[in-house]
Amino acid sequence: MTSIAIVGTGQTAHARRRLDVSQAGLAREAAVAALADAGLTMDDIDSVVVASGPAMFGAVNQPEKWLVDALGARFKPVVRITSGGGTGLAGALAAMNQIKGGFAKRVLVVAYDKLSEGALQASISTLYDPFWGREFAVGIMGFSAAYWRARMDRLGHTEEAAAMVSVKNRKNAMLNPNAHVKKEVTVEEVLASKPLCWPIKVLDVPPISDGACAVVLAAEGDAESITSTPAWIRGMAYYCEADNAANRSMLQSEPLKIAAARVYRSAGVTNPHRQFDVAEVQEPYTCFELSYYEGLGLCREGGAAEYIASGATQMTGELPVNPSGGCMGANPIGATALIRLAEAAMQVTGKAGAYQVPGAELALVQAGGGWANLRGVAVVGSTKD
Amino acid sequence: MTSTTRRNVAIVGSAQTDLRTAWSDRQHVDLISEAVSRALLGTGLRIEDVDFVIDSGSDFLDGRSISNCGFLGAMGAHHKEESRVEEDGLWAALYAATKIAAGSASVGLVIAYSKSSESDPSQYWTSLTEPFTQRPVGLDDVAAAGLFAQRYLASSGISADDLRAVTRKAWAAASANAATDASLDDLTDEFWSEEVATPLRRSDFSRTADGAVAVVLAGTAAARQIGGDPVWVTGFGSAIDQHFIAARELDAFPAAAAAARQAYRIAGLPDASSLDLVEVSATSTVGELMVLEALGLANKGRAIDLYADGAGAGINQSGGALPSDVVMASGLLRLHEIASQLSGRSDRPAGDARTGLAHGVGGLGMQNHCVLTLETA
Repeated sequence: MTSIAIVGTGQTAHARRRLDVSQAGLAREAAVAALADAGLTMDDIDSVVVASGPAMFGAVNQPEKWLVDALGARFKPVVRITSGGGTGLAGALAAMNQIKGGFAKRVLVVAYDKLSEGALQASISTLYDPFWGREFAVGIMGFSAAYWRARMDRLGHTEEAAAMVSVKNRKNAMLNPNAHVKKEVTVEEVLASKPLCWPIKVLDVPPISDGACAVVLAAEGDAESITSTPAWIRGMAYYCEADNAANRSMLQSEPLKIAAARVYRSAGVTNPHRQFDVAEVQEPYTCFELSYYEGLGLCREGGAAEYIASGATQMTGELPVNPSGGCMGANPIGATALIRLAEAAMQVTGKAGAYQVPGAELALVQAGGGWANLRGVAVVGSTKD
Repeated sequence: MTSTTRRNVAIVGSAQTDLRTAWSDRQHVDLISEAVSRALLGTGLRIEDVDFVIDSGSDFLDGRSISNCGFLGAMGAHHKEESRVEEDGLWAALYAATKIAAGSASVGLVIAYSKSSESDPSQYWTSLTEPFTQRPVGLDDVAAAGLFAQRYLASSGISADDLRAVTRKAWAAASANAATDASLDDLTDEFWSEEVATPLRRSDFSRTADGAVAVVLAGTAAARQIGGDPVWVTGFGSAIDQHFIAARELDAFPAAAAAARQAYRIAGLPDASSLDLVEVSATSTVGELMVLEALGLANKGRAIDLYADGAGAGINQSGGALPSDVVMASGLLRLHEIASQLSGRSDRPAGDARTGLAHGVGGLGMQNHCVLTLETA
């Protein structure tokens, strides 16, 4: 089957508020950067996939249509994929299929969110069913806290273990020029930070950000002519579970396991902890990163607390997770998943600068959204297979 | 671009709910699950055989963020790959077709729905406007359609009264279509005369409706196994125009023409002349005329001739989108219409027809266009 590569990536300077640009200007900034990285112009692009968070976040319906002018995409195919917080990865998956399916040769994927312009948690609260879900739903935090509380008892995902995630990712973000939250914290500080919805505390939570990311995808044959350092997508999948499925587990994410199993199979990964050199995961709260360790098979079920405590996922560990700082450095939700993919591509092509994992050849990417029921996984490598 | 899609993606089943101005006794999940279960009927497929689901709906119309999350069970998407295309369902079908043509999966379910009776569709349209220069001046889809119509009537030399032929043909066809509650007999004098956006009257605008539609696509091997008369997706194309109305041509849809060119090229069609059945989407009569011209079915300014007695027989036999416009689903309804006719599943027999085209539209002033071409053995 045709292999697809990332041939260019670009990100904006992420910030709490980007007052200097509109949503369209923000998306353009990332697109210009990705095209420059690939050495291409919009004339070389056949199709554009836009990904952004729920449109209510930015209060513009179907914002990709507004973006067309700024992206220079007139008379090209432009479509927007929206699949919750993981939408950037869902957008990249759509783009891969456009190329493999003969619809386009080179696709620009642009993902963004400008969260300073909307009422974030109020918009998220409308996720819930208007008849039976909305009365007791408070954003996504109450729901996530309940998840974590259950895992605390059954899987030992302690507050201390989650605090270590915060400490690690915030430390890593110090070296990422695109991150806008740069302040190291200690486990004690995380534990003592203000509870928002216990056990979730302020320092378990990433910032709210404005930001965009873009990648250019091309197929083998073409990709090598564009860049000497293509990052090959060795597998990608995005699975869901229905909220009303009676057997939905609160402990392990079923769609994450399904997606990981499928992607590992296509990428030939049998021992993820040993085979991956680096991972970029989307952690909307610290507790989720612990859960992903288990769902992605990096450690045994119930082993996440021990795994983070061992230092394995530190920059100096066997499998650095989120050398970019992950969401703790910047979290423009609609762009976050594509940022993880772009960061993975940068790592396997040696372009990650100050936070480069030396010699990284195989990277794991995880993303997700919805009410923790949408889960995507990708594997990116320096070689096709 | 190579024509890799030719005869490697088929539509093996499709179904719609009835389209009603207000499905007040049914919820979204009811409409969606009815369309999905009926689309699978006769294919021998169970929901377990479906590899992935691509769906279209609008957070703004549904009044919910990530509204696909609320309907995953009804869509049969549990534990499957699923993505939301927040555009008309024809783009969801395009996504599914590329995914199958890519060899990434063999059976896909495409769903589109809306229940705009639960909200104010005019707010859906105004929220599409960009917030700095468009929104403050009150630009909306109705005003945009009026601007296009002024220019189109001027350049084509037809009158606002001539447009009534478009409405009459659409509503007559819809009256004969048991799946809609549109009836030519119910149209009042006010409908025909109320000035909405000069030169356009109420009768020139699409009437929104509630409903859902589902289409099942399959790769070659799965389609052969299912049997029956698979309808092959031979070409697909999509193109968007700029957002700012002032930057667009006002009497033509070059984006629709670009979408058609891509689809024809992939399908190996020199032009539209060999198409037996055509179903197009539009939010106004003038929009429908401009789409037909962009697809190459009429010369510029002359699409009105397709509405003369006996003309345009293969076009919008269902009535098209004007009498029953299910926002986010009208394009996929067009695809269902063509596919069910070509495969003999429709109560409108296709006769000798073997080929067809479905067109979908999205955005303010019909900014975005999508075209799929179909063919049966």
